[in-house]
Amino acid sequence: MLSFTLRRVALFVGGLFVTTIVVFVVLRVLPGDVAQVIGGIKATPEQIEQIRSEYGLDQPLVVQYVAWLGGLLRFDLGTSLITHTPIGAEIAEKLSVTLPLCVAGIAVALVIGVPLGVYGALRHRTTAGRVVAYVAQAAAAVPVLWTGLILILLLGRGVGAVSLLPTQGFPKDGWADPAAALASIALPALTIGIVEGAVVLRYMRSAVLNEMNLDYIRTAMSRGLTRTGAVLRHGVPNASISVLSVVGLQTASLVGGAVVIEELFALPGLGAKLVSDVGNRDLLSVQGIMVVLTGLVLAIGLVVDLAHRVIDPRQRRVEA
Amino acid sequence: MSEDTNQTPSVPESTPPENSAPPGDEAPATGSVDASLAGKERRSRSRWIVLGAVAAVLIVAIVATFLILGNKQQATAVADTDATLTVGLTLEPTNLDIRKTSGAALEQVLIGNVYQGLVSRATDGSIKPALATEWKISDDALTYTFTLAEGVTFSNGDALTAKTAAQSIQSVIDDKLLGSEYLGSVKSVTAADDTTLTIVLTQPYPDLLWALSGRAGLVLDPAATNDAATTAIGSGPFTLESWKQGDSLTLARSASYAGDKPKVAKVVFRYITDTNAALNALKAGDLDVLAPVDGNLVSQLSTDEFTTTRGQASDKFVLAFNNTVSPLSDKRVRQAIRYSIDHEAIIKARGGADTALGGPIPEGDPGYEDLTGLYTRDVAKAKSLLAEAGYADGLTLTLTIPSFYGDVLPNLLTSQLAEAGITLKTTSVEFATWLQDVYTNHDYELSIVDHAESHDFGSWANPDYYFGYDNAEVQKLYAESQVATSTETSSDLLAQAAKIVSEDAAADWLINFRTVTAVRAGVEGFPTDQINNRLDVSTVTVAKAD
Repeated sequence: MLSFTLRRVALFVGGLFVTTIVVFVVLRVLPGDVAQVIGGIKATPEQIEQIRSEYGLDQPLVVQYVAWLGGLLRFDLGTSLITHTPIGAEIAEKLSVTLPLCVAGIAVALVIGVPLGVYGALRHRTTAGRVVAYVAQAAAAVPVLWTGLILILLLGRGVGAVSLLPTQGFPKDGWADPAAALASIALPALTIGIVEGAVVLRYMRSAVLNEMNLDYIRTAMSRGLTRTGAVLRHGVPNASISVLSVVGLQTASLVGGAVVIEELFALPGLGAKLVSDVGNRDLLSVQGIMVVLTGLVLAIGLVVDLAHRVIDPRQRRVEA
Repeated sequence: MSEDTNQTPSVPESTPPENSAPPGDEAPATGSVDASLAGKERRSRSRWIVLGAVAAVLIVAIVATFLILGNKQQATAVADTDATLTVGLTLEPTNLDIRKTSGAALEQVLIGNVYQGLVSRATDGSIKPALATEWKISDDALTYTFTLAEGVTFSNGDALTAKTAAQSIQSVIDDKLLGSEYLGSVKSVTAADDTTLTIVLTQPYPDLLWALSGRAGLVLDPAATNDAATTAIGSGPFTLESWKQGDSLTLARSASYAGDKPKVAKVVFRYITDTNAALNALKAGDLDVLAPVDGNLVSQLSTDEFTTTRGQASDKFVLAFNNTVSPLSDKRVRQAIRYSIDHEAIIKARGGADTALGGPIPEGDPGYEDLTGLYTRDVAKAKSLLAEAGYADGLTLTLTIPSFYGDVLPNLLTSQLAEAGITLKTTSVEFATWLQDVYTNHDYELSIVDHAESHDFGSWANPDYYFGYDNAEVQKLYAESQVATSTETSSDLLAQAAKIVSEDAAADWLINFRTVTAVRAGVEGFPTDQINNRLDVSTVTVAKAD
């Protein structure tokens, strides 16, 4: 287990390092630069050149990369070229919106997806079970934007059929008022929850169906458990292992991919920031976000892998 | 000119896990010990699962309702000097450094509210006092003497005198800061005493006062050591309380401002790029004012609750022709394009708020005259002009447009130009790419950008600008207009030059943008004209609702 953990951590660090190179190089290919964006369409070439040298954009790329990497090793993401604030702090602030949003979204997804997935599997031959499967199929296929719009029309405060939840914005003071902050991410989290929940449901259903065929269920039943009892007690935990991987992957991709939701609900999150920073060519900030996102994805992968080995004794044995 | 974000849809796609087997729809007929017992158990368990899920959803809903109701603010009665005015805007400043960062979004919120200039701009374009209470112009129009108010301080307590002002303006010139492009004819800026500032010019410059109402004339504290990109120390009626990038910018009534105090305690500018989300915010009561409202969404607002106004703006949506490349260097081709465009259709498609603009100078700017009659739509004429120019079989042109302008304009132009035999191909690019390819490298044929600044006719007299328009007569008239001793003469010269530019079909001016402002009942005094460049909120009142 120790050697596996070490190897897995080494992979994490190596992955992150390769990411820094790829991100740095790819971003330099983009046309346009931050000095032009700051100077705008009235700036003279001298003014642009002045901004460029002030920001060190006239330095050789290797020098710029080494400076950036050196900062990373000290956990310093640098200072945004546009806003002059520490990038680490900016990302942390945006994550204080995006992470709770994604966690709440995944929580809703699990609340919807897991029980209904198990139900759908246990009742897969009944009408109710089929309805669950079809609805999940449809919900997973619908674009998240559309789901969000429908929810706004149903529950949006001031605009919906039931005037209930705020449809845009995040409190200016952040989580200082937890109730207001929670309310503002409720609708977007519900939107994510429904779409992701449908995905979880489908995986859960097929995983449980798969487990139901296996010998150990029959064995459990022969020892006096009902089929439902055996599935719930033994089948669901086994099925959860593969679903865990899916949930991990979905969570990771959500953090960067929540941008559509963030735009729709006007939330100042990381996805929205990423898009605007790319637009402004604030490359240092974009690099910081990419490294943090990649770190998150790799970390979630690491945790899921380690969790598998803790949950599932079989994997440990294979490795030994 | 300002940039925006474009949405990148990146919804995570669900990929099936490799090890999950296809759904086994064939039920496993595992031997059951006691079928009826098991069935009963199964039903009760599954019912429990469904109930559990329903209960969980209900709990979430109930908790959320509770939270929102608990948070609902009680509406207060009677007019309120403690009120917070919340204004929804679209474009956010990239950063707050007014000396180095371009963009109307920055001038819009900071000039007049936080920073003050020697003089300021009224919404009708006239010049009114700001830090300078009065000024005299010598007969030869070379010496401007300003009298500054006494006892003015910056929000950090530092005194603002004529000496400070002279230093500020001199640093704009010396350090080539934004605004210095208007101060080329300034010979000296001197302060005789604490309240008298004298600007001497090398030659008359009728636009000087207007220039001083912009960035060039702003007076900043030379002793301040704050980071101007994130904070602001000014002498205006408001102080900058906070800027939450990507979300909002908050102003608070300044305690040190000597003039009339703002009628509201705070003003929050919220930046919402999605037009629907912005409208929802207004409808839900999270905003008091929204500007601009998308022209196609205005009808969704109840007229009992909101007043909508179309305000004048200097924004010109310019369909630029690269005058230096073939076939656009041929005047007949440019004219053919102008004759193919149906401006009324464009205005209608955008919701009907905008107005037609026939030339480079918008209403409200010196030199404006209605030139919309020069090129009214005439497809037959367009075709014959093309044939004359050797394109009887049609031609293909590429339009480069920043992506945040959307599809409406390119799509309309594509179909309108197609009728005259011009095939339009559209390349939608990010604004930063546009800046590099079109603006800096002049690598384009047609381009659309909103030129938001007023008094910007000079670009047509500058052959190095990305328009590439080179006309000696226009350059001569413009140069004369810039050294005229009276603003009337200057305007006349500009009007003559503008007419030549339009007749030459140097570009097409698709629309003159009109800002639709929606104001909630109870909010009074909100400006509606020219607010894309200046949004003075110091006189806005929020009345009490009951």
